[in-house]
Amino acid sequence: MNTDIHRLLDEAFARVDMTPDAQDLKEEIRANLVARVDELEASGVPSADAARRAIAELGDVRELLGEGDADAATGVPAKAESLQAAFLRHRVRPKPGFVVRVVVWSIALVVGLTLAVLGATGVLPLPLGPIIALLGVASTGLGLLVGDALAQETTTNHPMPSTRAGGYGLATFLALYGLGFGGLIALGTLPLWCCVFAALGVISSIILYAFLGATQTNRHKAWTRAGRETEIPNRFESEPETAARFGIYTAVIWLVTFAVIVVLVFTVGWWWAPLAFLAGLALMMLVLARMMYSPRKGG
Amino acid sequence: MTQDDAFAADLLRGHTDTIVLGVLRRSDRYGFEIYKAIRDATGGDHEIKEATLYATYRRLEKDGLVESYWGDETQGGRRKYYRITDAGRAVYRGNVAAWVATRRIIDSLLDVKDAQ
Repeated sequence: MNTDIHRLLDEAFARVDMTPDAQDLKEEIRANLVARVDELEASGVPSADAARRAIAELGDVRELLGEGDADAATGVPAKAESLQAAFLRHRVRPKPGFVVRVVVWSIALVVGLTLAVLGATGVLPLPLGPIIALLGVASTGLGLLVGDALAQETTTNHPMPSTRAGGYGLATFLALYGLGFGGLIALGTLPLWCCVFAALGVISSIILYAFLGATQTNRHKAWTRAGRETEIPNRFESEPETAARFGIYTAVIWLVTFAVIVVLVFTVGWWWAPLAFLAGLALMMLVLARMMYSPRKGG
Repeated sequence: MTQDDAFAADLLRGHTDTIVLGVLRRSDRYGFEIYKAIRDATGGDHEIKEATLYATYRRLEKDGLVESYWGDETQGGRRKYYRITDAGRAVYRGNVAAWVATRRIIDSLLDVKDAQ
């Protein structure tokens, strides 16, 4: 193996300020140089010459780092634009065809689900076959809704490739179908052994979602990413101790709320319980507002 | 380099981002593989400079069009691999469509069929 290349690389980076960025670039270049030297040696160049030639082809490394900085410098005026203006400039209107399709899928979902529930609860005298078919219509509607929406370009996101969007649609279809089967079993419309189908749908959808989620890559547009960098950080992100305090307060509020609910149920009756719940929720919101927007410490 | 070569290299350089995205579309690659794929495709005539490519990777990564990760090589330094994102694929498709449309316009304006 050629070791000259490491020495030459160190020399090339000798006068460079070793920021994490520069260190990163150096390591990246190292692997590329090694591959280039191997290629040159394979074509018959002596190893010392090969290393020198590979480095020479690279040019001045300070320029490589400088170019990135120049990029950032030209990026500054663009960043100065407000988020609102950037949003308007990059605005993408939904396609009319997509809007019409969404309405159709939604109707399929709502009608299928409503009729299936009415049939399963015995309000409508429907036999079992059509109920399952209606559930299928509702699941297909939701699956197509999800897949179609993900494949659309929006103001902030690029469209998802159609196969991946289709995967999300399929996972949603399986999830709703599986849950629907579970619902039919719970209502007693289907015998218990049918939970095999329910489990099959739900489990395969979980597996599919997990796979898609783990392999998902960025689909935000560049302007959104640039905008997010300039955004004022959330109070809870910049002050972790405030977030922790809020978490403890919330836990206390809900513990007390549930205690009050239990007391109310056993003393004055269960219909007073929602009142305690509402009081707890209101209290939590007040605490949240107080934590998020109270004046910052030390100016 | 002749005048013709300089013109061709200029044209090529203008599409570096799209070319890199196109190379990454099939599989994840590291810098030298990308460089080699471009060099082989151009027949070694008008290659895109490595310095240009490093700048391109940084820009693409900043814009979220590619992601990078380090390989697990034990010898000769770890390779920095690049992976195209969904955003990168969308931008690639858009750029290719724009290129096809532009090519048709330029072909007709330059009267290419006549020249051949």
